[in-house]
Parts: sequence; structure tokens; C-alpha cells
Amino acid sequence: MSVSSALQRLANYRFNNSRASLDVFKHGQSLLKSGVTPKNDESWEFLEQLALAAIDLDKLDVADVCLQKLGAKFPGSPRVEVLTGIRMEASEPITTVLEYYNDLLIADPTNAAAWKRRISVLRRARSLDKATEELIQYLDTFYTDPEGWLELADIYVSNLLNPQNPFTFVQFAETAYSSGDLPLALKMFLVAIEMMERDLESPETTPPTGLAFRAWWGIKLCARHLLGGASGVTSSPSNTPVPKHLKSVDALATERVLGAYKGKELEERRRLVERWLSSSK
Amino acid sequence: MFKDSADGINIDLLSSSMAPTVRISAVAYYKLYFHAAKHPHQPVNGVFLGTQDKVGGPIEVQDAVPLLHHWTSLSPMMEIGLDLAGQFAQENGLKIVAYYQAQRNVGDVGLGPVGEKLLGRLREQFKDVVGFVIDGEDFGTDKAALNPWTYSGDQWKAVPPSDKPFSQGSVYQLSSPDLPTKALHYVREEGHHQAFGDFDDHLEDVTIDWIRNRTCIPIDA
Repeated sequence: MSVSSALQRLANYRFNNSRASLDVFKHGQSLLKSGVTPKNDESWEFLEQLALAAIDLDKLDVADVCLQKLGAKFPGSPRVEVLTGIRMEASEPITTVLEYYNDLLIADPTNAAAWKRRISVLRRARSLDKATEELIQYLDTFYTDPEGWLELADIYVSNLLNPQNPFTFVQFAETAYSSGDLPLALKMFLVAIEMMERDLESPETTPPTGLAFRAWWGIKLCARHLLGGASGVTSSPSNTPVPKHLKSVDALATERVLGAYKGKELEERRRLVERWLSSSK
Repeated sequence: MFKDSADGINIDLLSSSMAPTVRISAVAYYKLYFHAAKHPHQPVNGVFLGTQDKVGGPIEVQDAVPLLHHWTSLSPMMEIGLDLAGQFAQENGLKIVAYYQAQRNVGDVGLGPVGEKLLGRLREQFKDVVGFVIDGEDFGTDKAALNPWTYSGDQWKAVPPSDKPFSQGSVYQLSSPDLPTKALHYVREEGHHQAFGDFDDHLEDVTIDWIRNRTCIPIDA
């Protein structure tokens, strides 16, 4: 294969965001060996791409050559620093790697790439709680990152003994709400309720308790904001649409929440809640 | 401190340069104490309800409403709890005058981004709102163990320790200096905190009286 067509092939992979490590490595390495020196921006990207492929295939010496060239050309570049971190992940102990990303983040807390690498290292190291905690923090700041959301959904769904656990969805819903994605929050709350109440024969005589109670509150809050029409409230970083029958959902949630406050003892609390439910702030 | 010095002085100038006095009643302090005591290693939070005659005037904290013991960010449940607490305050002629929280780690005495956001919202309704961070090291001693935070110059700042809040002559006072010792007694010897419930608890069990917590208040309060 000619030099130019090899370069083109690699460029295509980058354009399509394809991993294709074996192929990238094969062509990339021969280009490197033949002394092809990068002349423009694209060529530096090729080095980064080759480094990643080499790390993937455990050809760390090739990765190191690429890193060396990149480091010399772009000293102090955050992008190169993250690439260095990825290279370290392949051979250094986890504590060293985590410390390294920590230092990057202390120097620049807005380095999203470093943050994400750190989270993925934590996840691989089975520090799931920490990984989840940091991912939630990350999404609080970078809430329009769909990759981050998918990762969170994946952590929640793939780390349960029983994948049909509604608690997961309530937790996810609350996270989505805190990050300003109301349609996603509402959807997740509704999924949780579906799981918990789909076999409920007579809802009027069975008010929600525990987790379902919490989820209905969440639904009511979301519906209220979404119906309120404040600017930007229906925008969804995860592109979740607002459900069609929002008003019915809102009415049902009102009924379900209120239904839990039965009996004379709960009267004062019922009135308090009733007042909140009927206001449309 | 300057209650009678209002004549001829621009009140606005005074209120913007000096923090108003804050006096915390036994009921309010006990509730905060029981809340923190019930969840020793968790980030509890809640609000203080009270009165203030005019902006910049002395604040009387009369009651506390506990919110959560399990949160990492401004969650939907925090918002609902806060709304309901605000409503309850209004129905009883009170206002939300302060916010309290304990952090998860003993050494962590900051407000944090969530605390600041919450206080920002509360400030929209009550200009002199104060933040109190529970001091994990002093909690359980005879000290009040509350670090006040106030808003000045566009940001939330901790009141410097040199100001000695809750000591004699400070702008921040407990209605009686032996409240911390009494509270500790009620927790240790009589387990008052066990009957205590916050909004989180209420969501688990609707019969929990999180808004008043009548049963856990000592008779002498």
C-alpha cells in the first residue's frame, strides 16, 4: 500500500471514530518505520491514533515512540497528557495512575478527558461507588456529554444481581433531575413505577409506599416543572422527549401521592402536601 | 448590639455591613442535634424557621425542619422537602431563616457547592439567611459546634473563628449556653434522637412526623 493511501485509510478510521486497532497498527507502524515525518495537523493525529492502537495491542514500545514525538512537539498539551495517562494505565499500578490523573485535575479541573479516564480506571478497579460518585459529579458539570450518561446507565444496569431493580431507575432519575435533564428524569421515574406497580389491581386501596412513594413524588415534581413552561425546562441533554400525556401523568401522580396520606393522624401533613400539589409554581 | 441605635442612622448601611444577631431556641437546637446524632457519618441537612422584624434586624430561630440524610446534589427530594418546609413556615407565621448541614467527613467544614446553591435560593426569599455547618470535631462537647456562614461581597464566607460564634458577646447565640450539654444527655441517656425523623424517613414511611417531630422534643425545651 502506498504511503498516501495508508494515510487516507487511517484518516478514515479517525473520521468514523473506529477503533480498528489491528489495522491501524499494521499500517501505522509501517508508516512510522519508513520515517514518514508529520507535516501537518492531521499527521500528528495519526501519531495519537497509532499510540492508542499500539496500547490496545500491548505494543507499548511503539506507543512510547509516538508519545515521545508528540510530547516533544506539544509540550504541556492536555491532550498529550491524557494520552500519557492512557499509556500508564497499560503498565503502571492503579494507584500511580489515579494519582497522575488527580494531579492533572488539580492543575485543570475542566479537563473533561482526564476526568473520564479517572472514572473508567476507578470502574475497572472495582471502586464502583467512587466511580459512580465521580461520574455523577462529572455529569453535574458536563451535563451535555451523552457518553457520560450512557456510562452511568451502564454502571447502574450492569452492576446489579437483579437487573430489574427499580431502585436503580429511581437513583438514575434523581441524578438526571439534579443535572437538569427533566424529561429523562421523568422517564426513569415512570419506568420504576411501571416495574413496581404494573400488577397493582386496585390502586385506590393500595397507596404507594417506600420507593414507589418516592418515585411518584419525583414524577409529580418533574411534571409540574415541565407543565410550568419555564424557558429551557424541557431541554434534554440526552434528547429524551417529553411524554405525550403529561397532564394525565401529572393528575395521576397527584392522586397517588395524596392517596398515601390517609387517616386522622396524617391530616396536617395531608393538608400541607395537598397545598403543594395544587400549586403550580 | 445596636438595637436602639436606629435613630438617624441609615438602616440599609448598617444591615449591609454588620450581620444581624441570631438566637437559636432550645427546640431548634435539639432538633438539629438529634438529626446529626441519628446519622453520625452521613451528610444531614435541614432548615431553621424563625422570625425577623425587618431586614438586618435580630433573628429569632424558633424551630428546625430536617430534610435529608442521604444526598450528593440538589436532588428532587431536597427541592420538595424545602418547598414543604417553606409552606409550613408560612402557615405558622415563620420564615426559613437559616440552613444547616453536616458533611460526611469530620474534617470537612465547608459549605460545598450544594450548600451554596441552596443558600442562594433561600436568600431570594430571605435576605439575611445564614448557613450553619455542623463541626464534627466539636459536636458532642459543650460547644455549640456550629460554624456560621454569611453572604458578603458576592460570596459565602465562613465567620472567622476569631469572632468566637456562640460565645459571650457574639452575634450568634444559643438561647442557653448549656444546650449542647443537655442535648448530649438527651441523646446518650434518653435516646431522644431515635424517635426523630426527617423528610427522607418520611418518604420511606409516611407516618413519620418529620415536620414537627413532636415526640422527640424534651419537656424542658
